[in-house]
Amino acid sequence: MTAYNAFTQEWMDAWKEKINSSKEYKEIAKEWEGSVSITVNADPSRNLPETVYMFTDYWHGDALEFLICDAAKAQTAKFIMTGDYARWKQVAKKELDPTKALMQGKLKLKGDLTYVVRMVKTINKVVDLLTEVETIFPDGD
Amino acid sequence: MQNGYSGKFLQVDLTAGVCSNISIEEERLKKFIGGSSLAASLYLERFDLQADPLSPENPLMLINGPMVGSGFPGSSRFAMAAKSPQTGIWGESSCGGNFGPELKRAGFDGVIITGKSPQPVILSITNNEASLLPAADLWGKDTYETTDILKAPDKNIKVLAIGPAGENRVMFSAIANDKGHYIGRTGLGAVMGSKNLKAITARGNQAPGKADEDKYKLTFKAAVAEIKDSAFAESLHLMGSDAAMDLGTMTGDVPFKNWSASEDSEISSKLSGPSLSEHYLVKAHACSNCPVACKRVTAVKDGPYQSDEGPGPEYETCGTFGTLIMNSDLAAVIKANEMCNRYGMDTISAGAAIAVSMELYEKGIISAEAADGLKLEWGNMEAVLALLGKISRREGFGDILAGGSVSAARHFGAEALDCVAHVKGLDLPMHDPRGYHGMGLAYMMSNRGACHLQHAAMGMEQGMVSWPQLFDMKEDYDGQTSVGKARMVFNAENYGILGNSLSMCHYVLYAVKPETVRDAFNAITGYNFDFNDLLVCGARDWTLKRGINNLLGITVKDDVLPKKILTAINEGARAGSVPDMQLLRDEYYAIRGLTADGIVSEEKLLELGLPELRDKLYKK
Repeated sequence: MTAYNAFTQEWMDAWKEKINSSKEYKEIAKEWEGSVSITVNADPSRNLPETVYMFTDYWHGDALEFLICDAAKAQTAKFIMTGDYARWKQVAKKELDPTKALMQGKLKLKGDLTYVVRMVKTINKVVDLLTEVETIFPDGD
Repeated sequence: MQNGYSGKFLQVDLTAGVCSNISIEEERLKKFIGGSSLAASLYLERFDLQADPLSPENPLMLINGPMVGSGFPGSSRFAMAAKSPQTGIWGESSCGGNFGPELKRAGFDGVIITGKSPQPVILSITNNEASLLPAADLWGKDTYETTDILKAPDKNIKVLAIGPAGENRVMFSAIANDKGHYIGRTGLGAVMGSKNLKAITARGNQAPGKADEDKYKLTFKAAVAEIKDSAFAESLHLMGSDAAMDLGTMTGDVPFKNWSASEDSEISSKLSGPSLSEHYLVKAHACSNCPVACKRVTAVKDGPYQSDEGPGPEYETCGTFGTLIMNSDLAAVIKANEMCNRYGMDTISAGAAIAVSMELYEKGIISAEAADGLKLEWGNMEAVLALLGKISRREGFGDILAGGSVSAARHFGAEALDCVAHVKGLDLPMHDPRGYHGMGLAYMMSNRGACHLQHAAMGMEQGMVSWPQLFDMKEDYDGQTSVGKARMVFNAENYGILGNSLSMCHYVLYAVKPETVRDAFNAITGYNFDFNDLLVCGARDWTLKRGINNLLGITVKDDVLPKKILTAINEGARAGSVPDMQLLRDEYYAIRGLTADGIVSEEKLLELGLPELRDKLYKK
């Protein structure tokens, strides 16, 4: 399996491909409408010198725009999720459930929480599919 | 007083019709803090544990904690306690609302009620004075009517009232605070009814003092900021406790079809917090001084289940009158909730008794004829609503259910008993231990029977909280394993029970940092407790109540999960998962200092400063 460096456009493309190949995702996410941006706070001590912004867009079971972007683009998303690199890495490695991270304040969400709660199955599936992408993290593992 | 306490308790002898004041020594307050913990210490010392729960000798205790009335978020709760008529062991329940703070303003830390009035009465408490007033004209009225009548002279009067269920000694009857907040569990409404006490009112204007007002203000500001920053608190504000329905369904927490079926999101999505907000929410409502405002005010304006604007259902009620009986009509749940509120019945045990009836009906153990002509088919809400009235009046088949699900099942034989999901006679709340094994242990060891609020296990195991500063814990537990859960439950009990002793709402306890809670407690009381001191208070409370239950006959034979929970469901989120009861219990006993028979060891009793209990338990 090809491994991708985390937070690169190639890595995002691979993630998007996983989502669009998943029949289960299409069924679960058939009502999801809207974009989610992910902000990974810089952590030079873990070889992430600058904050990373990602923009992901979804519509009725399809993944659309998946981009490494700038802060301004990230701010346009329907939902904005922010957290430290160490936390996002835990999520991407399936060591921390994203909903639990949100409730514990380890990730922050800006957007309609009621919608997210209703669609939590969709969010978990998107994260599950990310964990299927072979990933090389900035700090090595 | 300048330490959060009023400095006096009200003692009421209903037989003699006499009210008097008593004080509680500071050493006891420091050991037990308040709430049901303080109630248990008084119960052990002063009362006959063998008294029948519905006899005049069984005391009904209502006790605040030192933070009640301080204005600190989530600190409006108060506890009531007595020997439970539903379970025959230690019984307690707490609720938010506004009665606790008002009782404090009226000058009392608590009320201890004994005896039985020859006639129905109201206990009226106003600014250091108490009196008993005739209530024959209120007897028979529901809690809403009673509350409206008692508040008519002054809307600032706060009311605790029972409805027809408590009067008729329905074993799971509740006590209502101003219509919207309920002392729901363990049947304390029946204890109140057995004493001919229809209601308690409180009104006062004394501000409780704090030891260090400036430090308190800092902790208050910190708590408000932490709540504002908490997604957990935000979800409660937006969706109420029913925010748990969607996620709980996904993770195997929500029970379906009397604990026998896998999840059905077609049903649960119609009962969820977002659905409630979208279709029936009128406004959010808060307990006294709480910025979370998780309570729902709902109304159903049309259709067969119209209900007036009033207190809406919590998650538990959406479970018992929804998924547990395979009903997906949220309007019908709201109606059932309103009826339970008015009659004064615990929605968990009422729904559980009906769910058991439906399973027995499906199995042919109960016929429609035996059920007064009601077809107890899954989801038949007309039958459910009819049954609620019958239960409250103890009429026909309702009289059988009024004894509670265990009593009702005994009526129908051994096979029926296997249909009841309970621990120590108390019906399971709507959290499935097959989805979260730690909850199974917490149910097994909770001192009032199966309970989700005598600990913080739900918050820890489901990942709503992370408190590494308090004790060693994971931030992401696997729900469906029993390994390592005994330690988690032990810690969760000690901190969760502490919250109860402080009279703090668990939702706020989850949203606010432990440091802030500790500092607020110290600023109010003038004590200098560290985390260990506080957690020892939690451990002492658990051990005290366990010892009381040991004296009432509780042993290892009672620390068991019901057959329903020890039977795996073959598909869905909890497929094949069953808690390892033996492993959980063995590890827990060792940590908690219980003997193999489930009795608190002498060493543990002395370590926690409970020599009186040691003397009684070991007959010294």
